Amino acid sequence: MKKLRTGMALAATATFALSLAACSSGGSTDDASGGASGDGEAMGNSLTVWAWDPAFNIYALQEAEKVYQADHPDFTLDIQEVTWEDLQTKLTTLAQSQEFGELPDIFLMQNNAFQKNVINYPDLFTDITDSGVAFDEFPEGVTAYSTVDGMNYGVPFDAGTAINAMRTDILEEAGLTLDDFTDITWDEYIALGEQVLEKTGKPMLSGIAGEPDTILMMLQSAGQSLFDDQGNPTITDNAALAASIDLYSEMVEKGIYLEVNSWDEYIASIVNGNVASTINGVWISGSIQTAEDQSGLWGVTDLPAVDGIDGATHYSANGGSSWAVSSNADVALAEDFLSATFAGSTELYDTILPGAGAVANWLPAGDSEVYSEPQEFFGGQAIYADVLSFAAGVPANNTGAYYYEARDAVGAAITQIMGGADPATALGEAQSTVEFAMN
Amino acid sequence: MTPVVVPDRTPKKKSKGPKIKPSPAARRRSLTGWAFLLPAAVLIGIMMFWPMFQALILSFKTGRGSALDFADPLWFNYERMLSDEIFKMTVGTTLLYLAIQVPLMLVTALVLANILNNPRLKFKGFWRTAIFLPAAISLVSYSLVFRTIFATDGLVNDWLLALHLIDGPVNWLGNTDTARMVIILGLLWRWTGYNMIFYLAGLQNIDPTTLEAAKMDGAGPIRTFFSVTVPQLKPMILLTVIMSTNGTLQLFDESFNLTRGGPANTTMTMSHYLYEVSFVNNPNFGYGAALSYVILVMVAILAAIQMKVGDKRD
Repeated sequence: MKKLRTGMALAATATFALSLAACSSGGSTDDASGGASGDGEAMGNSLTVWAWDPAFNIYALQEAEKVYQADHPDFTLDIQEVTWEDLQTKLTTLAQSQEFGELPDIFLMQNNAFQKNVINYPDLFTDITDSGVAFDEFPEGVTAYSTVDGMNYGVPFDAGTAINAMRTDILEEAGLTLDDFTDITWDEYIALGEQVLEKTGKPMLSGIAGEPDTILMMLQSAGQSLFDDQGNPTITDNAALAASIDLYSEMVEKGIYLEVNSWDEYIASIVNGNVASTINGVWISGSIQTAEDQSGLWGVTDLPAVDGIDGATHYSANGGSSWAVSSNADVALAEDFLSATFAGSTELYDTILPGAGAVANWLPAGDSEVYSEPQEFFGGQAIYADVLSFAAGVPANNTGAYYYEARDAVGAAITQIMGGADPATALGEAQSTVEFAMN
Repeated sequence: MTPVVVPDRTPKKKSKGPKIKPSPAARRRSLTGWAFLLPAAVLIGIMMFWPMFQALILSFKTGRGSALDFADPLWFNYERMLSDEIFKMTVGTTLLYLAIQVPLMLVTALVLANILNNPRLKFKGFWRTAIFLPAAISLVSYSLVFRTIFATDGLVNDWLLALHLIDGPVNWLGNTDTARMVIILGLLWRWTGYNMIFYLAGLQNIDPTTLEAAKMDGAGPIRTFFSVTVPQLKPMILLTVIMSTNGTLQLFDESFNLTRGGPANTTMTMSHYLYEVSFVNNPNFGYGAALSYVILVMVAILAAIQMKVGDKRD
């Protein structure tokens, strides 16, 4: 009997030891991958940051680290590359499991996802309204992305101002110039596009099938959104959206717009010279410039305006991101770092603008002479000064918490419309999908 | 599957008399058995059943993000599903995969296993390895490879164009039917070898004398296969059918990586939708948990039907 009891006790102990070990080992691997600075460090001189693009925002962080090190020689930045999809999943998982200790000090967030995350998981963020960051030195439309109930949760990083980047050599082949595409409407654009296609065999634009980026840029340029001011979806009875979809399908049907299946194919279509131009956020200039053999062959102009819509402009935006301070941060250091760099250093923006095409939202940086320097890659055009002038005219966009649902629903509707479905029916379905998601 | 437990009562008593106390020795044996079971049982309890129970509770809650409250009525999430057009579509898509892919795959696996079991076949080891190898490849990497192969400018289009079978590149992943076909093709490639191994193992256990006897009685190879081999493989077939059904209903990687659920959500599986609801869209974990329970019930019902139909033991 005694033996048996010992055996049982042993077995039971082993069980609990094992389960504990399982828990703790799970925890420690997370620690290793998260690499966050714990609360234990009282006065730190290092910050952990999550960002996703080595050629763009990670490069900007490295430059910011150098700028900050000038005054704080001991300071180091631990930059971790986390793709945006993974970053969002990590945030959701950590918030849901209340494991805030795994958060980095600072993370980058897509502007379009900012509202959603702050509203759903306020525990992830630190309110930085009174941090000393001069939020009035950013355009209001940009800080609005990261402002919830009057409180600021993010320092804007890059602008998503849309540009129409065109291959001037291809246009020339078709007997056209950049000026022919400046301040025009989409109807005129399509007519010119047919001319280009006929003369050169190249479509004007490319984009990912089922992703409504182009249409949403058209929509925003016309001063409309997928939501009204009260946050209700406005996918049906939206004249600007209907007009944008009509224009889009016309371009695809006429062969002016090349639909591809992935981001890689999209970038390849640009840098391989399969298309004559692209319309996207100014951050796309970073990818365009990877095609070094095309230096001097590119030019930038504004977007065509949507025909027949009141308040249609030539300016829009796509993407853009902001820095958020996490709830697990060395708050004082993180705030000081951000206000001394991304919200206070012309030197930083002067470096990262030509280096990565990172157009600042921070208004004082716009006064810098770097912006008016001619860009060799773009045929000597001072494109960044142009972009700044575009930025001033971008109509505001209501994103709200359900932006991605609406975006996906519109994307699905467009796929159906391109497949021959009735636009009104498809958009009605999209509207009810979003309403269902919000229910 | 059932754990081997030392019987606690050695004499089989059918009489309804008062319970006979087991002898101390028998009791001790029984307790020892339970002691050995305990570690695994407790671990499974903590790691599997407790989270499953929590998920059940979660499925009765609504709210976004971490602010969750019990729903009113309690079954709100389950009721909500009935008006969820996207979920209904994913159920249809998943069942379509199931109906086409599982029978096709298992028949192919059975035929391949039978061919490879032929004692006169040369390079047997090579063939076995070659057919089983896909099962050793990560789901994500093979999905991405398939995605690349079937891209508009991918290998398949290049070959078909070179052979003049098509006039222009086919947008495989951009059309619902072809995209679904690519997913099924991927599943076949990835899982046929895996199931074949089960059948090969089953074939080793078939007494060769039964096959010889069939031959002596004048049965041809096809007749032998259907009347002698297949009946003896029945338990193995049942096992693979249940496993494949279960796996297909929970299909995620191919939908997520190969087609991203597109075009217009028409290739999305139930599990992929559940992920979208929880992680991609506004996080709605209560609804996600409810969806996972519906998948569980579907798997359980299908498995029960198959066991009822497939198991002819009395």
